[in-house]
Amino acid sequence: MDDVLRQGVEIRLTVNGRKHREVVEPRLLLADFLRQRLGLTGTHLGCEQGVCGSCTVVVDGETMRSCLLFAAQMDGSGVETIEGLADDPDRLHPVQQAFWDHHGLQCGFCTPGMVLTAKALLEENPEPSGAEIREALAGNICRCTGYVFIVDSVKAAAETMASNAPRGESP
Amino acid sequence: MKPAAFAYCAPRTLEEAISLLDEHGYDAKLLAGGQSLVPLMNLRLARPTVLVDINRVDGLAFVESGDEVVRIGAMTRHHTVATSSEIRGASPLLSHAAGHIGYRAIRHRGTLGGSLAHADPASELPCVAVTQSATVRVTGSAGERTIRADELFLAEMTTTLAPDEIVTSVAIPRIRPDEGWGFREFVRKVGDFAVVMAAALLRVADGRVASARLGLGGAEGTPRRVTEAEQALVGSVLGAETIEKAARVAAEAVEPTSDIHGSADYRRRLVHAMTRRALQDALGRLEAGHG
Amino acid sequence: MSYRKQPKLLGARVRRVEDPRFLMGKARYIEDIELPGMIDAAFVRSPFAHAEILSVDVSEALAVPGVIAALHGQDLSGRVKPTVCDAISDGWQSSEFPALAIDRVRYAGEAVAVIAADNRYLAEDGAALVDVDYEPLTPLASVEAAQEPTAPLLHKGWKGNYFYRDRHAGGDPDLAFSNADGVLEIELATRRHGGIPMEGRGCIAVYDPIERVLTLWSSTQIPHLIRSELANCLGLPENRVRVIAPDVGGGFGPKSHLNPEEVAACVLAMDTRRPVRWIEDRREHMLACFHSREHYHKARVAYSEEGEVLALSAEVTVDCGAYSVYPWTAALDPGMSLFIMPGPYRIRNFRCETLAVATNKCPYGAYRGVARSANCLTIERAMDAVADALGMDPVEVRKRNLIRDEEFPYTSVSGFVYDDTSLIESLDKVCAEADYEGMRERQRLAREKGRLLGIGVVTFIEQTAPAVDEGVPINFRYDSALVRLDPSGSATVQLGTHSHGQGHETTIAQIVADQLTIPLDQIRILYGDTQQTAQGIGTFASRTAVVAGGAAHIASGQVRDMLAERGAHLMEAAAEDVELVDGRVTVRGSGTRGLSVAEVARATYYHPELFPFGWSPLLEAAGTFDAGHGTYANASQIVLVEVDPETGAVEILEYHIVEDCGRMINPTIVEGQIHGGVAQGIGGAFFEELIYDEQGQLLTTSFMDYLIPGPTELPDFRISHLETPSPTSPNGIKGVGEGGAVAPYAIMAAAVQDAIRPIGNVFVNELPLTPERVLGFVDRAAGRTDREARRSG
Repeated sequence: MDDVLRQGVEIRLTVNGRKHREVVEPRLLLADFLRQRLGLTGTHLGCEQGVCGSCTVVVDGETMRSCLLFAAQMDGSGVETIEGLADDPDRLHPVQQAFWDHHGLQCGFCTPGMVLTAKALLEENPEPSGAEIREALAGNICRCTGYVFIVDSVKAAAETMASNAPRGESP
Repeated sequence: MKPAAFAYCAPRTLEEAISLLDEHGYDAKLLAGGQSLVPLMNLRLARPTVLVDINRVDGLAFVESGDEVVRIGAMTRHHTVATSSEIRGASPLLSHAAGHIGYRAIRHRGTLGGSLAHADPASELPCVAVTQSATVRVTGSAGERTIRADELFLAEMTTTLAPDEIVTSVAIPRIRPDEGWGFREFVRKVGDFAVVMAAALLRVADGRVASARLGLGGAEGTPRRVTEAEQALVGSVLGAETIEKAARVAAEAVEPTSDIHGSADYRRRLVHAMTRRALQDALGRLEAGHG
Repeated sequence: MSYRKQPKLLGARVRRVEDPRFLMGKARYIEDIELPGMIDAAFVRSPFAHAEILSVDVSEALAVPGVIAALHGQDLSGRVKPTVCDAISDGWQSSEFPALAIDRVRYAGEAVAVIAADNRYLAEDGAALVDVDYEPLTPLASVEAAQEPTAPLLHKGWKGNYFYRDRHAGGDPDLAFSNADGVLEIELATRRHGGIPMEGRGCIAVYDPIERVLTLWSSTQIPHLIRSELANCLGLPENRVRVIAPDVGGGFGPKSHLNPEEVAACVLAMDTRRPVRWIEDRREHMLACFHSREHYHKARVAYSEEGEVLALSAEVTVDCGAYSVYPWTAALDPGMSLFIMPGPYRIRNFRCETLAVATNKCPYGAYRGVARSANCLTIERAMDAVADALGMDPVEVRKRNLIRDEEFPYTSVSGFVYDDTSLIESLDKVCAEADYEGMRERQRLAREKGRLLGIGVVTFIEQTAPAVDEGVPINFRYDSALVRLDPSGSATVQLGTHSHGQGHETTIAQIVADQLTIPLDQIRILYGDTQQTAQGIGTFASRTAVVAGGAAHIASGQVRDMLAERGAHLMEAAAEDVELVDGRVTVRGSGTRGLSVAEVARATYYHPELFPFGWSPLLEAAGTFDAGHGTYANASQIVLVEVDPETGAVEILEYHIVEDCGRMINPTIVEGQIHGGVAQGIGGAFFEELIYDEQGQLLTTSFMDYLIPGPTELPDFRISHLETPSPTSPNGIKGVGEGGAVAPYAIMAAAVQDAIRPIGNVFVNELPLTPERVLGFVDRAAGRTDREARRSG
């Protein structure tokens, strides 16, 4: 039985724009696949129960918990992680830049999930109110900041993204 | 917290999925959204040896509008249930409740059918399904059958589904323009499981309540309608007093569970408060002229 | 020689230099480190709170393909010393805490055995197959159970189930009580909860058998202290033990201990000769990462008709769990309570008895605001009770009792010497910021409409960077810094402390930049590796800005003087005639450009011939700063809440904070620390509770049962600053890391009580204020019995 249980599943997927072909054990969580197989350690495991949001990644355009998905399910999918946003501190995504400018992080552990969730919010709602930002981030626990500067950061990112957006198009 | 080993199957058709379930019986587990199952697997509280992933089965995610009902495919994600204009048009109550499930990232993955089959008493969709007398279509090796929502839930986390049966769709009756609805739940923090929730659906004709539906979730092991409170409403003139009376009847009618999230007494008081607020919301919507 | 008197960077809102790696997902936390040949460990934990271990069989686990090694308590017995962390006190009872339980388990979740395998999945497979035969014993799951005369004794040779009992008295409390106009008695309870960082604990142990060096990477706040005790447990010299703390995903106190799991991982690494990694999962964290905050207080308060508190007499009981932990001992919370309870008030007669009870629960460790939150609750609730008894405003009663400005330095009844603070000013300021009178008016109007609005007020004083000279196994008075200027004129600073969110790579650099007058990006701050930094103590107790900041200030001042001396020599000027401005050594008043720091540095290192024989060619200095018993920060806060009397839910409408942490290095970082501290305090006030059943089973082992406030549960905090410089520390800096977490318990209890006042008077004395507990207080206020309350449902 052990052999059957550990029988690998072949998956082809795109992660941060790069194509991968891998054979994975069925029980390997997407988060562990990203971290251990691809070395993308910016995705963090904070609870493995889907509550804390630290492991948030974007799968086929939607934020999801990578602790509640198996890598085996990802065949044909496109995954975006925090590492896909910027490769140089001088070229940060506006959300990352705003978190930096407004002290939106302390220990940094929740930050990748927080940034990806905030980015998804702003792509859908370019001018969120403070309450809408808090609601959108409700599934991401930060133990350090008390969220005040995170909310400030997201507001600032919204302004940057609005001013960066070409006229006549939605950002 | 890593799951025990399992064999993984991702069938493309319903027939394949059913035959896998039939073959492996209780050793197999169906994987829909996985937002409740995978945490249990990570904790090794669930240890299926075969995981049948139905995310690749065609034809299970759809919204079909009919005159009487909206039929929603079982693999429709909570986020779609919460935001689809077709579903919102047919049952704003269901859409509204779906928006209360967990967090956005959870709603992107979790499914309507999965939620019903998981039968967590604190889940929103079972409560609404029971309140609205939704019907659940299931398919198994013995063929297809339709189950009334209130007959689906047997006990906490337990349904009347056979091990080889798969929920394929749910039919939700349309809320009529002359009906008012309300949904309230008490959560200790946003996105957390509800301690108690109440769903209300009222129709008023000639100044009196012509029909009333009141469903509760979280209070007992399964969601249920509170017919005692519904009867107290029907025929009455809807107002603060009748609503308060119905809420009290509901609170007296339930036999609440007790756990670290709330004692039975506390849940009873929440039933009272949530019921009144849901009914007030329903009244408000009736008065505002939109159900 | 002189240098810029006006600091450029001290006090500036500088953006954090460490942020890009965190923002880009490139930080290196413990679980991100991959070493060749590394294996993963999983622990077998006791399902019983109290049991004899009859046997442990690991054979089935070892048969799992991929499982490499197994250890259990008997394997370590005699080979590894258990941790013995004793307070020095007549009332102390010693106990041993083994890395893996040997013949008895004393809490559910205690590590019994460990399995190492190719990966964590396989290690858990193996752990599930370890067969442990237990003989359950009576679980002592509460203070009461542990103190039953028939209770079994938890540790060998004990006289009763307590680690520590002690007392302290000052003044003449008996006389004060007999002469008082009024005496009131209160009882308070704060339930067990903890720091719960988002990253759990974790470590990687590596043994090099050729060099005989053991390296432990650990997600810890205290690498040097870990090294000392690890060396002691394993019988190694400290120069063969290296502890490295990489990026740490939140500390808050729970990561300031030596963990039994770390010792076991080291033994596994020595046995297998492979790197062994242990990453704690959330369930383990809830069960076994040391808990905090479980205080039970009884207090008697004597007061005058004018509202002066004349005497305070208290009994403090803390449920300290099963073992005394390193380096704090189980006397940590109860011992501190003996001295801090009178707080910021002129109380001249004080008596306190304290008891650290041993129970079959997870051991008790440090958490942000150690002992302060519970003691602040007691003294602040006492002030509120006096106010209520006399019909006075809570602000007024505090003003009558607060130590006045002219009294500083003030020697407290418990022997603390409080230096300059702004107690009354902070209270006045927070009242102004919150428009306290207007808030009372709004409350009155809301009450007319049937809404239950409540206001809470708290003032506190907080010893930051504290240390005590007696009773403790380690005295934490100092920390250290090594500042080295290289030939290019850039500086490297090695600290004995650690940074895990506090932003020390920025704030310490701000201090050094002002001393050396070089830009911030010319300074690198290193920490966390015992082999590459000066001996240090660690980051906890709001100490790093004070002690490491002080040490960096002193060391970089010495380097600055060396630069000036060498620059003067190169320019053939007298040392007293040169100054260091904007990175250049110049002759004062000469109008010449002088020499850059880089030019002086290069000459010093590479052209010793230019200097008198015997001058050191090194531009470096080690500094330490001893903060004595600490610096004193203070704060006042006002909160406005609304209570829903049907559900017991509490909404925070406004939260105003005036904080005085002395001179601020970086106000933005100060505010971030306050926000986070208050958020955690609110967690403890409303949401967080580690609940054990009567069998000693923890019922809250996940984030579904243990609730941490999210962005929707917390308000926008409004902060104002006062800056009363500390006379003790360089730059007048005081600590700020913990202050936020001190007040919310007291302030929320006061606000909820105030909110339900229209229903009736009740004394809110138990936390966390879960909705159900709030309803309980509402019922009592209404004079409803439990039976009536049920019927009203």
